[in-house]
Amino acid sequence: MEFKEAQLDNGLKIIAEVNPDAASMAAGFFTRTGSRDETPKISGVSHFLEHMVFKGTERRTPLDVNLEYDRMGAQYNAFTSEENTVYYAAVLPEFQNSVLDLLCDIMRPALRQEDFDIEKGVIHEEIAMYQDHPQFCVYDNLMTLYFAPHPLGNEILGSVDSIANLTRDEMQDYFDRRYSPTNVTMVGVGNLDFDAFVAKTAAMCNHWKPFTAERKVEPWSGTGKSQVMTDSKLMRQHLGLMSAAPSCQDDTRFIAQVMATIVGDTTGSRLYYALVETALADEAHMTYSPMDGTGSMLTFISTDPAKTAQVRDIAAGELKKFCEEGPTENELTAAKNKIASGATIKGELPMSRLTAVGFDWVYRNEYIPMQQQIDEIYSVTTEQVLELGRSIKLDKTTTLTLGPLESLD
Amino acid sequence: MSNEFCIKEFPNGLTLLGEPMPNVSSVGFNVVIPGGSSRDGDDLRGAASVGAEWLLRGAGSRDSRALNEALDSLGVQHGEHAQAENFGFSATQLSRNLIPSLEIFADIILRPTLQGETFDPCRALIAQDLHGLDDEPARKCNSLLREKFFPAPLGYIPYGTPESLAAMTDTALRDHLVGLFSPHGTIIGVAGKFDWDEVCGAVEKLFGAWNGAALPQLQTTPAKTQTVHITRNSAQTHIALAHRAVISGDEAYYPARLAESVLSRGMGSRLFTEVREKRGLAYHVSSSYASLLKHAGMFTYAGTRPDQAPQTLEVIISELQRLADGITDEELTRAKTQIRSMLVMQGESTSARASSMCSDWMYLGRLRSLDEISTAVTAVTEKDVMTYLERFPADNFTILTIGPEELQSA
Repeated sequence: MEFKEAQLDNGLKIIAEVNPDAASMAAGFFTRTGSRDETPKISGVSHFLEHMVFKGTERRTPLDVNLEYDRMGAQYNAFTSEENTVYYAAVLPEFQNSVLDLLCDIMRPALRQEDFDIEKGVIHEEIAMYQDHPQFCVYDNLMTLYFAPHPLGNEILGSVDSIANLTRDEMQDYFDRRYSPTNVTMVGVGNLDFDAFVAKTAAMCNHWKPFTAERKVEPWSGTGKSQVMTDSKLMRQHLGLMSAAPSCQDDTRFIAQVMATIVGDTTGSRLYYALVETALADEAHMTYSPMDGTGSMLTFISTDPAKTAQVRDIAAGELKKFCEEGPTENELTAAKNKIASGATIKGELPMSRLTAVGFDWVYRNEYIPMQQQIDEIYSVTTEQVLELGRSIKLDKTTTLTLGPLESLD
Repeated sequence: MSNEFCIKEFPNGLTLLGEPMPNVSSVGFNVVIPGGSSRDGDDLRGAASVGAEWLLRGAGSRDSRALNEALDSLGVQHGEHAQAENFGFSATQLSRNLIPSLEIFADIILRPTLQGETFDPCRALIAQDLHGLDDEPARKCNSLLREKFFPAPLGYIPYGTPESLAAMTDTALRDHLVGLFSPHGTIIGVAGKFDWDEVCGAVEKLFGAWNGAALPQLQTTPAKTQTVHITRNSAQTHIALAHRAVISGDEAYYPARLAESVLSRGMGSRLFTEVREKRGLAYHVSSSYASLLKHAGMFTYAGTRPDQAPQTLEVIISELQRLADGITDEELTRAKTQIRSMLVMQGESTSARASSMCSDWMYLGRLRSLDEISTAVTAVTEKDVMTYLERFPADNFTILTIGPEELQSA
């Protein structure tokens, strides 16, 4: 494993974790832009633009893009979050040059009106698809409830109206303000030739004009609000609880990761024993999401409508108790072993390693070898976890529930 | 892509498979035991699912909590599933924890405590899973399609029915599980970093004295081709359809997979291009092949807004049938590259390899190296694919839709 980095004259950074023993390689553009960088008028544009990037360039039609990826046997896609838009592909090493040619080219999309109009229909379908997924609806609405008016409360997909009203020129304008080479990082992982990687990226991207693409980063610790969303056709009551957590830039993020595992891993956690083992809920788990300048702990629970108040109280009680007492040594050890083992298994696949390496760089301009990450996890103490739980007020939650109930009490 | 396999067959009918992988520090294993939800019987529908949950609620000298803690403290990532024709246990861990993890799974499989007091929560969890399906129409649509498509009871939703779960007792389930588990036909596949002699010794010690007979032949009732609609005020109409395909042990298996690829692998595939890219009718549209021991199907799904549902179904069926008109050299070459590349990438994952080995042994009775598969895929011609499509044409669809309104014409 060897870390390499380079930078083009226009500011585009290129980094790679090279592993000559891997059978494949993965590459991706990490663009530091997402729904938090949007105004209400163009809500959903980051994600819609991500779709349009696959719709071709001056020299490629939409079908060309898809067919070229498929001809390489690539595993490829893209995703948009509140603060990142990532375009990636994994291929066999022999396709390194071809995949870079395609990846780099599509990052300067043509945004043709005709393609824009067809893709608008697909975005509307995606919005409708998620409306039939209660867990996603809880996430989406809880993010708004917890963050609004902070821009992290902006919806990733936008709304039916904002998408309907969005124009091709507004998208172009957004692109021209956000896709500066200084706001994008090219990341490679696996069996790749770094010199050729840099040379090809340079040949393809040197003409990109740099400009300033800033983001307002403000801390946030949640509104503490509660909301009940009623949908009489649902059979289960879906609950989301969100509290504050360390940001991506915070040194305590490893402690937070350990804490989320102890409190809310899908097996063997506090919430598991209190709610799932007892069959009060069929799902109860906590995830830690570090973000730019802030972070969140999200607990998701699915339960019988009739048991919702009881389940909410038990979950709240577990969080409160954890803040008072902290973890046991056994819990700490098990959490560390689970995280270390999970990271190792993921790290064996270039495609899974890509996001870890990419985000370490995007958020902190640093490369952390896997072993160092595991060492950081193993250095966490019970006292640190207890102290963090108290300082972030893990038990002070913003709560949203979706299901047949009209009120929780 | 050459694989080095180790195989050891035990006198009690259990087979141990191994594939050492270079440059990894993890090891994955799968244990596949014949049985599964198709063996539940009408009176105990849901038994395999409740059972898979119950097995983890205490085994050997450990109670539920101690068992969980033992697995967690070894950092084992694990899953236990009741599938149609078998119980599957999968575990991935750091290499040094392989033997202790195998020891725990031997307890779970051979010495579960199955105590009365832990039964109710397990049954309640499966009842909630069953209920939860109603809140996820896409998943429900695909689950019900399997139920309608495969001969009964092979496609039954493994969670059972509200009535069967309500009537299930701990005594009945315990008797059922004890009679079901047997080393005969059981497969353990291990892939990653391990010492073969050590694994053989451990499996001999842990599972060598296990005894039991082969399961009797499963009686099935042929499925009838049908169109079913479930009315629900959902945002999308969910459309799922299935038609017959060749089983994975057949020589036409590779042409079938290539046909599947042309249809649905990658964003340049026919379904994606025609349904999403050209017409914007759906976000998700895909076809995938699935095989049981004696029955297989091609399953296609799309979610679309209700007013576009008839058109979406029409375009899908047209694309499924247009395959038989011919595929181009370019499409075939592309599909072959995609499959070979996918094989190499799966070959990097210890859990994926452990699972593939078990499937090969179960369906084919032997192991295929990635080289063998790659060579076989390369050798397929356009004529092979056409011959396959004549044998298994895209017709007699079983169709399942969930949405505000029934589709009028297909």
